[in-house]
Amino acid sequence: MAHQWGMVIDLDRCTGCEACVVACHAENNISTVGEDEAARGRAKHWIRVERYYEGEFPDVKTKFMPVLCQQCDAAPCEPVCPTFASYHTSEGLNGQVYNRCIGTRYCANACPYNVRFFNFYNPAWEKPLHLQLNPDVSVRSVGVMEKCTFCVQRIKAGEIQAAAEKRVVKDGEIQPACVQSCPTKAMVFGDLSDPQSEVSRLARSNRATKLLGELGTLPKVTYLQRDSWHGGEDS
Amino acid sequence: MQRRDFLKISAAGGAAAALEGCGNPDHQLIRFIPEEDLIPGLATWKPSICTLCPAGCGTLVRVMQGEAEVVRNGQLGILKMGLPKKIEGNPAHPINQGKLCPRGQAGLQVTYHPDRIKTPLARSGPRGSGQFKEITWDDALKQLVSQLTALQASKEEGRLSFLTSPLRGQRRTVLDNFVSAFKSAPPIEFEFFDNQVIRSANSQSFGYAALPTIDLGQSNYVISFGADFLGTWNSPVAQSIGYGHMRKGRPGQRAKFVQVESRVSQTGASADEFVPCPPGAEGMFALSLAHVILRDKLRPAASAGHAGSLIDGWAQGLPDYAPEKVEKQIGVPSTTIARIAREAAATAPAVALIGDAATAQTNGLFNALAVNALNSLLGSVGKPGGISFSPSWNSRPAASEANKGAANSIQKLAAQLQSGSDAAKVLLLYNANPVFATPAAWGVREAIEKVPFIASFGSFIDETSALGDLILPDHSPLESWLDDVPPSGSARTVVSLAPPAMNPLHNTRSMPDVLLDVAHQLGGDVAKALPWKTYDETLKATFTTLHKEKGSQSAKDPDEFWKKAQEQGGWWSADEKPLAPVAGKSSGSPMKNTAPQFDGSPEAFPFHFLPFASQMFYDGSLAHLPWMQEAPDPLSTVMWGTWIEINPRTAEKLNIQQGDVVEVASQHGKLQAPALVTPSIAPDVIAMPIGQGHENFTRYASGRGANPISILAPTTVVETGALAWAATRVKLARIGEGKIVMFGGSLTEQSPELKHR
Repeated sequence: MAHQWGMVIDLDRCTGCEACVVACHAENNISTVGEDEAARGRAKHWIRVERYYEGEFPDVKTKFMPVLCQQCDAAPCEPVCPTFASYHTSEGLNGQVYNRCIGTRYCANACPYNVRFFNFYNPAWEKPLHLQLNPDVSVRSVGVMEKCTFCVQRIKAGEIQAAAEKRVVKDGEIQPACVQSCPTKAMVFGDLSDPQSEVSRLARSNRATKLLGELGTLPKVTYLQRDSWHGGEDS
Repeated sequence: MQRRDFLKISAAGGAAAALEGCGNPDHQLIRFIPEEDLIPGLATWKPSICTLCPAGCGTLVRVMQGEAEVVRNGQLGILKMGLPKKIEGNPAHPINQGKLCPRGQAGLQVTYHPDRIKTPLARSGPRGSGQFKEITWDDALKQLVSQLTALQASKEEGRLSFLTSPLRGQRRTVLDNFVSAFKSAPPIEFEFFDNQVIRSANSQSFGYAALPTIDLGQSNYVISFGADFLGTWNSPVAQSIGYGHMRKGRPGQRAKFVQVESRVSQTGASADEFVPCPPGAEGMFALSLAHVILRDKLRPAASAGHAGSLIDGWAQGLPDYAPEKVEKQIGVPSTTIARIAREAAATAPAVALIGDAATAQTNGLFNALAVNALNSLLGSVGKPGGISFSPSWNSRPAASEANKGAANSIQKLAAQLQSGSDAAKVLLLYNANPVFATPAAWGVREAIEKVPFIASFGSFIDETSALGDLILPDHSPLESWLDDVPPSGSARTVVSLAPPAMNPLHNTRSMPDVLLDVAHQLGGDVAKALPWKTYDETLKATFTTLHKEKGSQSAKDPDEFWKKAQEQGGWWSADEKPLAPVAGKSSGSPMKNTAPQFDGSPEAFPFHFLPFASQMFYDGSLAHLPWMQEAPDPLSTVMWGTWIEINPRTAEKLNIQQGDVVEVASQHGKLQAPALVTPSIAPDVIAMPIGQGHENFTRYASGRGANPISILAPTTVVETGALAWAATRVKLARIGEGKIVMFGGSLTEQSPELKHR
């Protein structure tokens, strides 16, 4: 059976530090857009940390939630693409074929998670910043939609390596850049088709929830809700 | 000549000859023969060390073949070379165990920054004008050596001053040897977040002038007084790893985390319970907890040992700190204090931390001593789940005693330079930017401007190096031999080591190599004190003395040990042997609390001003990295800018809307920035991130936002002389409409999935 890549994000571990955000920029050749374009909502962060405040000082509760492409099994972005640039891969990823994309941006409009980003300009790196570019990841040009790929280049490299060694991919062997960097190990990546994998085990937690799950998008990212202290005088 | 070298030269010459006559010579690029063997498309991983903050995390650098424009022997050309593509944590390194923070991830951009200084520069316009001309290394070194020999000739060696960020490992040894053999003034170490108050308190309470190593992973109750230990304070990656473990790494066991501060920091945002505390009252709060524990006989007073005896009234059960009395002063209900005290006492191991603004008050030392005493009473000092001190190796207690009074000495330097007597004639700058990171009221800029000759080893022009006469650009960390002895974050002895991860891109030289070169040119005692030819020779000489110790690698001889350590990124001891506390030296009688003093009257300046470390820019030294500028701040989601945090009730009173430009004025200066109306801050406090407001720091940071340090009062922590950077009062006024660039949009909303928790 094909792999079904998925992720679990434990919000009880997440501290909102954004190591994932910068790691993603470095791994995936995401260009910075500068202050003016950022002000127009054109900054590209394939993963972002949402922050929620509830209540008033001092009884204010703060919550962090990293949001990236949920790699939905029933992805609203896919059927709307007239050129099949957004498509479903055999391993369950929401693929994005850059050279098919003609920039209609229908997919971004359809996506309820706001995780697709359009290239309004050709990306540019002021020399020698271009030397930081990862040769394993293509640079997206103007008019093309881009989004989180679960670091498909790392997935492919891991699968090829395992095939060359005539073995199956080991659980935890493949890590997207965000997962690899996360200091609190809030993010776990793996194969949901393997019930023994760490990600499958965690996805069965009683804290598990899906972001906007009621929309029926069948996300492959599972969030584990924040927990609370079980000791103390009031429990 | 080796065949390879011959090929290189003839290839370079041939290419140049072939290109001759092809139009504009400026567009001719020479193709060099690669200096290393690489396979296209295959990544190799090289160990390195993150130098962007004092934590000292170990990294692995992903290196792949690429083509770079480089200068070799004065010629610009294209070279196929190994280029770092990504920095990850080194999984074998005991501090960060394969993990890395956002700042560390951006380390690549230091090397590839378009505004890096590419070749030595000499000032060509008036000082501070930013006009420099390119010169050769020979000329640059000649200038520096002639300045130093002139000092020697006039017997004024003491008028050479070294101004540097606190150095550790062999860089420190090279500098110390240079300084003592030259007989110059002792080096002045400067960094904004120097944690000097905590070191001083720990020295008194526990006998170690060092930051603590915190065993969060095994703790069951954590009380943090203002310490941003998940963001920027101490060893944030090591602490975040421990935090993840204490939350969900132990099935069925989850610690409680209480944060005590006046503004919800990035760390406070993850707390189970947030307790508001007026600035400077942290020590009082800690002792009130201790009072309850003693009153209810949950621990005997004697169990706090020496750390308890440092506090006035400890043996009597701290009668002045009854929760009912403390409630009247700080507004926290006595029932809350009593409950937290009982919870902490009943939930061992419990640990208390203090850091950042809580120690940057006039009574900062008392606050830190109070928390140390509470920690001892809770019984977690030197125990699993508590704090301990990292064993050090060989060296001076890494960056601890040496760093004592750092802020003090920059202030002294300024005063001395202003007065003129024995003032420095030659100032050497390394990785420190005090013009940006000291209050304008200290007059550091004016003082430095008076020094007749200033040379900087910096890789960038910043506010301080812009005043330089000579720039001797250092290699970037990825291009350098690196070594480090992290002062905290692991219970093992850790000695990090890394060879360069890449060849240099530009015509730069490693600072310690330049110092060795200068020493040899000076000759005499200075040359004798630095007998090594290159910096890696000095590293090998000291590092291989470790080879018989039981640790991360075994080797049959020093050479093999040296090789293995380079492959692994250092050496660390096999056993965890944290240092247990000993009775430290205290200054006489037990300490009484004094009310914190604030600069400015509450009537004219109604708000406490709280600058804080930026998650992306740390102390401002990382504002030049575009990835850091565009990464949204975790709490405000602001990109490419700065902001002033204001409570909604305060904003309403002053008619301030989100994004309005407001003016913040202290007795010492004023600044303008957009308002961020947020429920995360007390109504009588306004807060501002440190990091932006650079006048002169590359194309990405210059002229962006405002610098809160500039308006701080020159108030100091009474006993230590450190800057009390959270003790300034300010007034606030709306100026007009403005804008603020936020990634997250509106600030208060309900999370769709998480509202029921």
